[in-house]
Amino acid sequence: MANPENKNFFAKIGEKCKALWESFLALFKKKEAQEVAAETQSGEVFVGKELTAKEKFLRFLKAEQGWLFVTPALILLAVFTFYPIVNAFIRAFQENYNPLSPTKYTGIGFENFVRVLKGDTGTGGATFLQCLVNTTIFTFVSVPLSTLLALLISVALNSIKALQKAYQTILFLPYLTNSLAMGAVFATFFTIVGTKNSTDTVGLVNIALGWFGIEPIDWMKGGKGFVWTIGQIRIPWTKYVVVIVYEIWSGLPFKILILFSALQSVNKQYYDAAKIDGASKSKTLWKITTPLIMPMISYLLITGIMGGMKQYTSIVGLFGEQMGIDYDMGTMVGYIYRYISNGQMGYAFAGSLLLFVIIMIFTVINLQASKKKVTY
Amino acid sequence: MEEVKQPNIVQEAPHFDVEKERKRQKVGKILKNVFVYTFLTFCAILAFLPFYWMIISSLKTEAEYRQPKLTLFPETIMWKNYEVVLTQASTSGASFAQLLVNTLLVGGVSTILGVVITILTAYALARMNFHGKNLLFTIMLGTMMIPGEMYTLTNYITATQLNWRDTYTILIVPFLVSVYYTYLLRNNFMQIPNSLYQSAKVDGLSDMGYLVKVMVPLTAPTLISITLLKFIGSWNSYIWPQLINNQRWQMITNWVTKGFNDNKGLLGPASSEPLTTLKMAAVCMVSLPLFILFIFCRKYIMRGVSKSGTKG
Repeated sequence: MANPENKNFFAKIGEKCKALWESFLALFKKKEAQEVAAETQSGEVFVGKELTAKEKFLRFLKAEQGWLFVTPALILLAVFTFYPIVNAFIRAFQENYNPLSPTKYTGIGFENFVRVLKGDTGTGGATFLQCLVNTTIFTFVSVPLSTLLALLISVALNSIKALQKAYQTILFLPYLTNSLAMGAVFATFFTIVGTKNSTDTVGLVNIALGWFGIEPIDWMKGGKGFVWTIGQIRIPWTKYVVVIVYEIWSGLPFKILILFSALQSVNKQYYDAAKIDGASKSKTLWKITTPLIMPMISYLLITGIMGGMKQYTSIVGLFGEQMGIDYDMGTMVGYIYRYISNGQMGYAFAGSLLLFVIIMIFTVINLQASKKKVTY
Repeated sequence: MEEVKQPNIVQEAPHFDVEKERKRQKVGKILKNVFVYTFLTFCAILAFLPFYWMIISSLKTEAEYRQPKLTLFPETIMWKNYEVVLTQASTSGASFAQLLVNTLLVGGVSTILGVVITILTAYALARMNFHGKNLLFTIMLGTMMIPGEMYTLTNYITATQLNWRDTYTILIVPFLVSVYYTYLLRNNFMQIPNSLYQSAKVDGLSDMGYLVKVMVPLTAPTLISITLLKFIGSWNSYIWPQLINNQRWQMITNWVTKGFNDNKGLLGPASSEPLTTLKMAAVCMVSLPLFILFIFCRKYIMRGVSKSGTKG
């Protein structure tokens, strides 16, 4: 049953609140209107009478309103980005760090880095150096090759009129894929099914090579005779080929997209001038088109190398979660995740710091190199 | 002064056969076109081949897949492969339906919240003046230089300590803020003329009102691109769920890394040997939604990608 007195009471409170809110809003609006008026009046600074503390506070709120907008992002960044970065720099130097143990760590020093670089972590599988070599070779073979190929494709794409959109769309398709799913598909291209049974398939690539009279190779196994050894580093080159082919295929769409749009924005007058001067097609490509879109090419090389140094999922897609046999196809990121999973966080932190330094070095080299050439 | 010998153009002119030259040029053009189209078609086939292979392999019987003779179209279409994959959990233990629900939930929530936060932050950085704005922006851009693995490590520890492992929360919260998309949207906001802001203010619109009523509609194409790319990113996320959650709480991509076998004997004698055709069926099911999305939103996705240059 409704109590009329109660109802009255709440209504009163409601009215009070409303009135307060309205006066607050009015104050706010007035302030705003004044400020806008001041701003719009021929740049004259609004000089009012002495401000009260309340007005000062409101003005302060108004001026710093931006913080309100960035607060959600700021809190999330602080907890999940800023703090972790600082934390990584600290933890990497703490020996035997274990978040669950009461003492947390046993000492401070470079022990983690020394052990990671020496490969003396007490865990089998690929060492950090092996992972570094793997990652570097994958990247420095696949990125330039796919950029060059992308350049040729985009030039071809740019020179046609009919079906241009259709070709562009088909060539872009590989971008939208899940690298784990497509890695699994590429693995089937190279896999010989079954064990030495002559009735089993040798995989699409071996079938294609068979047309040229090449004996089937067990690409995914990389057994004896298919491994180069340099000191401690093993290079099973057949597996490298698989990774590089996949990386080129998956890297092309983005590069084509970027280079094609760069080509379309090149001023047509350059080509007309070249034509009048009697420059050949290939000369036009290498002496005019390429230098003009050099900024985009160097951008692609930089981002490609930075992305390549961080690759991980494509290898898992191709070779499974063990990254080959006992992580022999491991990448640097794979190395870090392996040590998170087995709880040796100190090595993971040290590895991540090394990865950071390596990426920084490549970025600086790239920027220096591209500074010289990119002057257009 | 040495006399420079000029090539005698005038003398050559009478020998110049216009008809012949025109014909030569025409033949050259046709040859060029044949070459260019052959090259592009070859590349397009190579780009599309893995998808075709994945689809036909998923529809073959395992025996047909394994025979040495290559078939470019399945002899008998095995829809049953999909049935087996759907009804049976992969060796990972989680079912497709469960992981699909996880992915849609996590993807949906993190995309919506992420876009809202991105809009607010980008607006503040683009249009509002407050102390420390430039410092904040510089620090945010600075973090883009640092590989994400460095924060993943600490986030892993944080999640463990907060007892957030095996939840949706931990899949959503750490990735809500994308510095790059914020940067992208901020640049887009900056392109909108300031006079619009002034007149909106005169009309008595607050900052929030201006943002919602003017800025958001004007930058809709970029926002759509960001939304799509964010969702695709969630769909493709693999590392973090794998690391932090057990199978029940992982995402759709985690499903395809495992093997699929016919241990109930639905396709033949039961065996726990991993079957390629089943795996291809799983791969198809994970890839297909992205294709459908691409067909409908090709323009936005391609524009977004060419602007942002990040995968998800």
